[in-house]
Amino acid sequence: MSVVDRAKAEGRTKLHEHEAFELLRRYSIPVPDYGVAKDEEEAVSLAEKIGYPVAVKVISRQIVHKTDVGGVVLGIADRGGLVAACNKIRESVKARAPYAEVEGCLIQKMVPQGIELIIGAVYDDVFGHVVAFGLGGVLTELYRDVSMRLVPIEEEDAWEMLREVKAYRLLTGYRGTPPRDLHAVVDVIVKFSRLLSENPAIREADLNPVIALEEGKGAYVVDARFLLGGD
Amino acid sequence: MSSSQEDLAPLISPSSVALVGASPKQASVGYVILENLIDRFRGTAYFVNPKYDEVEIKGRQLKFYKSISEIPGPVDVVVIAVPAQVVPQVLEEAGKKGVKAAVIISSGFAEAGNKELEDELRALGRMYGVRVLGPNCLGVYNAFNGFDTVFLPAERAGRPPAGPLALISQSGAVAASIMDWAARRNIGLSIMVNYGNKADVGDVELLRYFERDERIKVITVYVEGFKYPGEARRFLDAAREVVKKKPIIAYKAGRGAAAQRAVRSHTAALAGSYEMYRGLFRQAGIIEAANLRDMFDMAKALATQPLPRGGRVLVLTDSGGMGIQAVDELEALGLEVPELPESIRRDLRRELLPFSALGNPVDVTGSATDQHYKVVLEALLPTAFFDMALVITLMQVPGLTQNLAEYLIDARRFRKPIVVVNFGGSEMVQSFTKSLEDAEIPTYPTPDRAARALWALYQYAKIRGVVRP
Repeated sequence: MSVVDRAKAEGRTKLHEHEAFELLRRYSIPVPDYGVAKDEEEAVSLAEKIGYPVAVKVISRQIVHKTDVGGVVLGIADRGGLVAACNKIRESVKARAPYAEVEGCLIQKMVPQGIELIIGAVYDDVFGHVVAFGLGGVLTELYRDVSMRLVPIEEEDAWEMLREVKAYRLLTGYRGTPPRDLHAVVDVIVKFSRLLSENPAIREADLNPVIALEEGKGAYVVDARFLLGGD
Repeated sequence: MSSSQEDLAPLISPSSVALVGASPKQASVGYVILENLIDRFRGTAYFVNPKYDEVEIKGRQLKFYKSISEIPGPVDVVVIAVPAQVVPQVLEEAGKKGVKAAVIISSGFAEAGNKELEDELRALGRMYGVRVLGPNCLGVYNAFNGFDTVFLPAERAGRPPAGPLALISQSGAVAASIMDWAARRNIGLSIMVNYGNKADVGDVELLRYFERDERIKVITVYVEGFKYPGEARRFLDAAREVVKKKPIIAYKAGRGAAAQRAVRSHTAALAGSYEMYRGLFRQAGIIEAANLRDMFDMAKALATQPLPRGGRVLVLTDSGGMGIQAVDELEALGLEVPELPESIRRDLRRELLPFSALGNPVDVTGSATDQHYKVVLEALLPTAFFDMALVITLMQVPGLTQNLAEYLIDARRFRKPIVVVNFGGSEMVQSFTKSLEDAEIPTYPTPDRAARALWALYQYAKIRGVVRP
């Protein structure tokens, strides 16, 4: 059963983040190595397997914005840090979202620094699925510097989506910053388009951020959110 | 939805028409359309209104039929201008007679909350195989055969001459004002279709129709917003095919409201927004106009000029200031304005005035003669260094004559796009402009507009894949 069907069967309209990663992986969209831990002990053994540094994110169907309740800790370098992070998340969630049932934690490998992109999607009755591309950050929002295309998106369409945004030059290397792995970004967009057309129940999706590394080093979806509706 | 040309030919290019709701009362909708048909329609027109038998209109005895079924001959299209409640009955009668298409002018349907009545029209159309345009529309204007259902009198809303352009317009009022504007500028807007509520025929079918009409070279589209599920995708699929044969230029109105909504950051806020239309246009290979004037500025060039094989522009001017403006615009649009090659520059130095500027722009100065333009064009346009030319001819300078038009027209043989900037209002300027336009060299009053026209040609060349790698 696909994660989408499972979520629907459970009456959920939102995928858990590890389900989102599973869905992305099924379409060969790169996500950092990750795993779900029920408790601290599992968290530690998972982190050892994945390799530090890692990030920890709380898993709970009642929590919509994990950061707002202190449910996320990034850049954990070792075992000691991980144990502390787990404690911190537990305390913080208990205090700020006492109603929430915590199902566990998502442990994921930290992706190196890169340029943050947003690749989003929305379903519109008239347009069908539409994918939006832009750079992360407030300027994208301010200047509405996004490009959009209807699904299905071909490779050439995806290249145009990249070139169309004003911030494109930041991706090709600007003032000493290295050029980014644009082939990898195009690949994410095209695969994401396929994911959407094969999963019509998806109403909204945000891959935010997608981190574009230097040329040849890939692009990773670091955080993903999927909302479901009727087919 | 099927959409072969055969489907829509009776609607857009009929040989016989029945006007239901025809009226001898001047200034009524039924009268204006009747007048259009008797004045200009080159086909058979029948008039239906049970209130009249025979009426003399404009010195002609016109027979009025009681109903469609009374009409003796075949009818391609029925034009319906009767109160909304009666329309289904008329449509059914038309269907029974075997009429293939209906233009429903009448309003009072979905736009007034009567969705059921509109659904009834759609169902009747399907049942009898009648393609329905409207309701609540201006319908069709076709300069080729004079079929004209626009109910605005010709003396107020001009009718443009036959030519290479077609317009699909979501708005009737916008369509009528474009027609009037085009008529006064002698722009060859042959066919206009306004579909109103779009119960049946819409943008997709019309694009397909114009794709196959060989007389149409450029399709212009005025759109406010699609309305049916999946419609954007169908539009995209159709447009992608059409642009392989001829260019589509679209202008999307209504960019602001959604922008307000979309201040929130996530993608869902962009649903139905202008950005989606922009994305759709680019994905389809549609050239987007910034406004209506821009749409026809670009259409004029696309209808007349060959496609450039690259983006390098020669700017030739007799005014330094105008030349600089042109370069500014061209570069802002992503076109190139390269320097002249040294060898040709040396040759030109011998032929031109000593104080001419031999950069790009080439400035032949206010002392220029017709001959100077000719020399520069012949030396540079047929070379591998340039793909197109923007020529500025301020005719106010004393050395230029009407002969310059002949030289520019002659330069068409180089098979590269040429646009001309010609600013001013004297009789000489007007007749110069007319000579060029008659010979299919597009002219513009300002450099920015000429630059946009070249940009559109370059865009379409890229869409068609003819740009040299």
